Amino acid sequence: MIVPISWLKSFVEIDRPVKDFVEDITLTGTKVETVTSLGSDLTNIVAGKILSVEKHLGSDHLLIAQVDAGEKKLQIVTGAQNIYAGASVPVVLDGGTISGGQKIKTGKLRGALSEGMLCSIEELGYTRQDYPEAPEDGIYIFPEVEAEKWPPGSDVKAALQLADDALEFEITSNRPDCYSVLGIAREAAATYNKPLTLPDTRLKEEADGDINKMISVAIEDPALCPRYIARVVKNVKIAPSPLWLRQRLIASGLRPINNIVDITNYVMLELGQPMHAFDIDNIDERKIIIRRARESETFTTLDGVSRALDPSMLVIADCHKAVAIAGVMGGENSKVTENASGILFESANFNGTNIRLTSKKLGLRTDASSRYEKGLDPNLALDAVNRAVRLVEELCCGQSVKGMADCYPSPRISWDVRYSPNRINRLLGTTLTSEEMRGYLARLEIKAEAAEPSTEFWTAHIPTFRPDLELEADIAEEVARLYGYNTIPNTLSAGTPTVGRKNYKQILEDLVKSAMLAQGYDEAMTYSFESPKAFDKLRLSASDKLRGTVKILNPLGEDYSVMRTTALNGMLTALSTNYSQRNEDVRLFEAAKVYWPKTLPLNDLPYEMNVLALGTYGKMDFYALKGALENLFGLLGIHGAVFEADKNLPFLHPGRAAVIKLGKIEKNGKIATQETLGYLGEAHPEVCENYDIGVRVLIGSLNLDKLFEYADLARQYQPLPKFPAVTRDIAMLVKEEIPVRAIEDAIREKAGAFLESVRLFDVYKGNQIEEGYKSAAYSISFRAPDHTMKDEEASESIKKILANLETKLNARLRDK
Amino acid sequence: MREKLEGIKADMQKKLEYIEDLSALEELRLRVLGKKGELTQLLKSLGALPPEERPAMGQLVNEARQAVEALLDQAKKSLRAKERDLQLRLEAIDVTMPGKHGAMGHKHPITIVTDELKNMFLGMGYEIAEGPDVETDYYNFEALNIPANHPAKDEQDTFYVENGFVLRTQTSSVQIRTMEKKKPPIKIIAPGRVYRSDQVDATHSPVFHQLEGLVVDRGVTLGDLKGALSAFARELFGETTQVRFRPHHFPFTEPSAEMDASCFFCGGKGCRVCKDSGWIELLGCGVVHPKVLSMSGISPDEYSGFAFGMGLDRIAMLRFGISDLRLMYENDVRFLRQF
Repeated sequence: MIVPISWLKSFVEIDRPVKDFVEDITLTGTKVETVTSLGSDLTNIVAGKILSVEKHLGSDHLLIAQVDAGEKKLQIVTGAQNIYAGASVPVVLDGGTISGGQKIKTGKLRGALSEGMLCSIEELGYTRQDYPEAPEDGIYIFPEVEAEKWPPGSDVKAALQLADDALEFEITSNRPDCYSVLGIAREAAATYNKPLTLPDTRLKEEADGDINKMISVAIEDPALCPRYIARVVKNVKIAPSPLWLRQRLIASGLRPINNIVDITNYVMLELGQPMHAFDIDNIDERKIIIRRARESETFTTLDGVSRALDPSMLVIADCHKAVAIAGVMGGENSKVTENASGILFESANFNGTNIRLTSKKLGLRTDASSRYEKGLDPNLALDAVNRAVRLVEELCCGQSVKGMADCYPSPRISWDVRYSPNRINRLLGTTLTSEEMRGYLARLEIKAEAAEPSTEFWTAHIPTFRPDLELEADIAEEVARLYGYNTIPNTLSAGTPTVGRKNYKQILEDLVKSAMLAQGYDEAMTYSFESPKAFDKLRLSASDKLRGTVKILNPLGEDYSVMRTTALNGMLTALSTNYSQRNEDVRLFEAAKVYWPKTLPLNDLPYEMNVLALGTYGKMDFYALKGALENLFGLLGIHGAVFEADKNLPFLHPGRAAVIKLGKIEKNGKIATQETLGYLGEAHPEVCENYDIGVRVLIGSLNLDKLFEYADLARQYQPLPKFPAVTRDIAMLVKEEIPVRAIEDAIREKAGAFLESVRLFDVYKGNQIEEGYKSAAYSISFRAPDHTMKDEEASESIKKILANLETKLNARLRDK
Repeated sequence: MREKLEGIKADMQKKLEYIEDLSALEELRLRVLGKKGELTQLLKSLGALPPEERPAMGQLVNEARQAVEALLDQAKKSLRAKERDLQLRLEAIDVTMPGKHGAMGHKHPITIVTDELKNMFLGMGYEIAEGPDVETDYYNFEALNIPANHPAKDEQDTFYVENGFVLRTQTSSVQIRTMEKKKPPIKIIAPGRVYRSDQVDATHSPVFHQLEGLVVDRGVTLGDLKGALSAFARELFGETTQVRFRPHHFPFTEPSAEMDASCFFCGGKGCRVCKDSGWIELLGCGVVHPKVLSMSGISPDEYSGFAFGMGLDRIAMLRFGISDLRLMYENDVRFLRQF
């Protein structure tokens, strides 16, 4: 809502500088977003009287004018042909600036001295629509009346009423009354505790006739139209509005049209009540009917667009046709033209929600609809219609007929809110007296009085334009904002002490992140929704469970239309972005949520699963990523992780993919029933192609919710060993296809109680190794807690290990 | 004998001057003190002396031996020091060569800010609460006093999914879930993702992050809210930070306010960051609306509370001077590694 401060000042005295006013009214709750100083680009422009005009001898189109600019006489060269001796015109003096800030300097034009510039209305930043008296082409010439008022040397900004400050206010949705100059003036008056002058609505009503014979109003659906007032103006003379009115519209962001249209806009801005003017001759049988639109009724609005209506929408109609879409826009068939002689002013109240829905359905949001949709006070309609008629009379552009047609089946009346000053003090942390509170409320036109002398309660009588005030808490806010939020002392609650802490899951989540960060993975964040095409890019089969998504009904586009069921698409997209930027050695992780519907169609909230997504290319290989995960498991105290080759993950390279399984470790060291928590591996080459990634990438995903079930942060100190360990290295020849995990298992199985560690330190294929075989070399350590291991003890264990390897895996010791 | 001993000492002294390494020194030592060394021979020859001369001579020889040993020791020490000096000199490295970088990951800027805020509020006695991203209409709107047909529910702002569920538009939904589960005193923050159907541009994202706070107890006041949030702002932007509270409107609080902090960039003088106002809009807050308390099963006659909410992406942008929100979700490591 943009309001020129001059307009506000016509209702309330504001003696503070604009900057202070902006601050003051912002702090009582009406926030000023911006201040635009109108005409600030125009400097050193005065009214000047042309004394003589002669031709420039060096040019066929230039003129040389001698100008009386008040203090000085100037010679100015101009190309405009419409000037004449005696004309009063705007003159830019040497060093002055015109619209856009362009500077004008004394200089020579084709050899003739020019000590300034004569201006057109465009050079002042306006158009002929704003100043209809301006010539189509040429210098602006003041009308004679004005010229007399503004002698040479007068400031043109004053003469043309160009200087003002336009304030843009942010109005919150609970304050429809503040979508008006008057509403904001009322807030200003309350801020400064000054009286508010209301707009003049006194009328002459000079035209003849009985309003009841001229017009009748019938509301078919009072729920959608609580009130409709019509007033009639006769002998209308359509003309441009006077300058002051035009300037107020312009400064508020509207363009002047003609006096009648301008008056409706003026009243809308001033009081917040949208108005409409019909040419009364176009209302058949002079009967206004407010009804729902008919099924498949079409209607051409003022902007020339034909629109399809339906019965959810309200129209203003006569006996035969609709003449306006209620609260949104009038019709071409009844618009006020130059020839109109009688006007019907509509000032009505419509159901805000209905207007909003209609406006949305039609895709047509207007100044009127945006005000109606916030819900207006039906009592405002009366002041508004009278104000409009008053302006007609003031502007002498018509005569009003006495009275009005006012259909208002259930008038809105003031209501009471009970409050306790004590309780309000307790809520705010203040110690205001009930009298002080009464004073603050009075500034807002809320009358308050003690309810019953014996109780602590008071009664506030709420004016009908404040539907937001219903409860004691609302009264508390009114008191608080006028007392000043920033005057209320800051306190630190002395309430029950609480301990701030993270819960177990939150601690684990932090550990996961720190484990990945410590291992060189950067944290990524990707959108929670994505395109269903992601599943094709990931090569998921048509029946893959991951395709069962939570769908967004009104997405920003297909690319954002389903909630992700896997974090891989986001991760691969991030890798792709980095690849396209030629970033080397990229390591990313994301602690993401994925959304799995419990049923489809959705009849319950989906399961929101926390996953850890990993993605990397560059220096890392499968084992590096696996190692990173093993480190993470170690940090979380998880020991039973198993990585199993899996050829069936469509998005992974079938020979370089593993599922990650976890199970509880039993006493014998075996891992009990395992469940799958995720997977990792090299992305399938086709997947890389789908994401335009030209290098091998590794990706992985882990279900964190499941993982956390296995986490164990308890730690128990183990005494450092007192006796030395014995370490033996063995190199085993086994069939190539035997996974090393099986060798290690076989070693552990027979290593005995003193086994400390088994470490694979070399795997070798090639020279000296039989085709189809590989050599796997292990370093095996034994340590006893109570004595120094004897060589024989270790040898005994190694013997058993070798025997077991042979039986289980047909493995033999490699000859040295 | 005496002359011989003096001769050995003098000779030794002279030779030591020419010795430049430890092995030559050892050679010299053997020549004097070794099995067949000059001094050893002399000592052996003592047996040939008459018994009455032996003690005196013996002492002389021993004294000479000690003197020689001391000379050798001294020489050895200085040679060692010399050799070490040489070694240290040769081992000098160029410390301006680039450092070797082990792997180190970088937290996302939004996480940095979120973690920082979490720690501040944990220190102030808050717990961390959570709620789902996909929400019911009830938790996201109705229970927050946003009735059906409220303009905020308009499709323009809210993403709807099947069956009337929505993507939460605000973390305030967690307030309700918490109040339903927990009896006062309640003191929580709820960071998380929220969703609004805004087209992607430099300052808008359909997915962003908020941090919600809620305190419910007996006798909580607007003054308490101001005290807590002023302390928070000082913690976030520095001790000298000023705050101001402006009346505002939120359906779920009454009275409601927005809190501005003095611009940390210009100190309130006015700059590009604060758009010349000297203030930065930081968060929305207010006293919990009595209807919200009662709907969640808490009696507004017995308890009161305050709530606040702030945009984490925005705070991260302010904090790090990030001018384009899209960078946050593109995950270009050249961006991520700056934090």
